[in-house]
Amino acid sequence: MPHSPLHITCQEVVELVSDYLEQALPADEAAVFEQHLNFCDGCALYVDQVRKTIDAVGELRAEDVPEETKARLLTAFRDWRRG
Amino acid sequence: MNAYKFLRPDGTGVFSGFHWPLPVGVPGAWVRSDVDPCRSGIHACRPRHLPLWIGRSLYEIELDGEIVDDAMKVVASQGRLLRRVDAWDEQAYDDYTRMCADRAHELARARALESWEAVIEPSVPEGGALLGFVAARIAEVIDGEDGYRRERASQAEWLVERLGLTP
Repeated sequence: MPHSPLHITCQEVVELVSDYLEQALPADEAAVFEQHLNFCDGCALYVDQVRKTIDAVGELRAEDVPEETKARLLTAFRDWRRG
Repeated sequence: MNAYKFLRPDGTGVFSGFHWPLPVGVPGAWVRSDVDPCRSGIHACRPRHLPLWIGRSLYEIELDGEIVDDAMKVVASQGRLLRRVDAWDEQAYDDYTRMCADRAHELARARALESWEAVIEPSVPEGGALLGFVAARIAEVIDGEDGYRRERASQAEWLVERLGLTP
């Protein structure tokens, strides 16, 4: 929850970005979140990049992953389980 | 009721990216959407909200249907753009930015808030939305939340007078 009802910090934008993009923020917190994006180009860019990443990952299907990448991931997963 | 709405220069919503039907001699087409503040609905500003949402293009908008008044905005189920506020041009935008910067200096110097004073001029190229926030934040440092709100109210008065808006 933001420390102020009037505005939020860049750090709070980072902490709240997932909730914002999932439309899970209460309306008053979403409003101060968007106000921050309106004047802070850095945070607006950051939120846009997170949104694009989520969109891209959401569209990724198992068959889109190259066989070589699948093999590397499976090997890494097995090593992690052993470790 | 009539209100105001900032859009990007290309006529799209700042957060929604929605392509608004723009007024061309006559009002733009009606747009309808369920009201759910910050999620859906036609989001607009009463004059007192304008400093919170400063953008490059400003329109007068007619709202109808279900209308929800909020501390930071007004949200309606129907809206159409009536006219572009031509007085909100590049010069007015720059003048607003300068006014906010000068006010921020005035507040910071009165209380010798040197760390705040140092951020004002470097912020000017970022524009009026940021400088309005900086001035309000300095007022908040001095007088708490009431100071912040008073500064925002003062910025709204400047905009109403300069742009000839209906208060």
